[in-house]
Amino acid sequence: MTRVLLVLALCCVATVVALAQPSRASAGWCWPNCSTYGLLYVWTSSGNGCWYSGGEVCSGWSYWSLNGVTKTCYPGCDYWHQTPGQILYGFENSARIRGSFTRLPGTWFIHPSDVGMGGYIRAQVTEWQGTVSQINAAAAG
Amino acid sequence: MSARRLLTLTGAVAVAAAGAVALATLTSASKPGALARISNHGRTVTFRSNALTRNLRIDEASLLAVRSGRAYYLLQTQNGPCGAVGRPDLPDTLAAAQCPQGHFPTAEHPVLDLSVYESATHDLGTVSLYRAEGITADGVSAVQFLRPDGTIAVTVPVSGNVYATTSVPTGPIAGVAALDRSGRRVWRSP
Repeated sequence: MTRVLLVLALCCVATVVALAQPSRASAGWCWPNCSTYGLLYVWTSSGNGCWYSGGEVCSGWSYWSLNGVTKTCYPGCDYWHQTPGQILYGFENSARIRGSFTRLPGTWFIHPSDVGMGGYIRAQVTEWQGTVSQINAAAAG
Repeated sequence: MSARRLLTLTGAVAVAAAGAVALATLTSASKPGALARISNHGRTVTFRSNALTRNLRIDEASLLAVRSGRAYYLLQTQNGPCGAVGRPDLPDTLAAAQCPQGHFPTAEHPVLDLSVYESATHDLGTVSLYRAEGITADGVSAVQFLRPDGTIAVTVPVSGNVYATTSVPTGPIAGVAALDRSGRRVWRSP
């Protein structure tokens, strides 16, 4: 009986330790999901404590290795093929947010190493200027 | 040769000459301007297959330059040209890529700004430069980074269609502009 209780206790400890560890390689994050586009306004929030309280969607904390954003013209690009919103896309940690800007439609990829970050971070996309950006964001670990 | 045959031959020659003139005019007129072309063809490179390169679907990749420990690439993909950066000590991998669906280089977008910006405050709207770099069309000789009041924070020269510096000023940055050889501003964002 004592032996059974010991095994059960060890299992409980192992479960707690495993849950406390961040997911490493197989993790993934998409916004709004992995198959459609979402509208990012200056008041949009993914509601999980991103660097900016409004205008930003971010992943959970993990060992991310790539952030990819697809941006469309919706609701319409201007004469210069610019979308209605400028986004900052990249990563953030507890001390700062870093990334690159774009206002053009297209596909944009960035590694944490490109912004001098690594370790336990968040992937992010922020509506920086303009009215709205239709995007799909995805991060891989 | 009958008069009819001669007339037919003359007509055929006239049509051929007109076609040649039209083709020559069309070729000259459609030759891209200095803000819509990149003359640095670089050196062809091949990247290792990973999540990024698979997503990009690269047809051809050229290494344009290596500056300050960074490698700058122009990629020809199924969705048009992309600009990319990587590390020269890891020649088969990419660190970032920008693919604006064929809208680069054009007279409207002669600069692909690959710069990294940062903020340590939670106030939306204020960023500073972490690193300045990018790829430009032939007609751009320098790229300026602007303060919120429009003054110039730093000017980075373009060489071989690439600009790059890690020597960046502190303080807020609110825009980017491109200058031609005469110092005239030919592009600005936003």
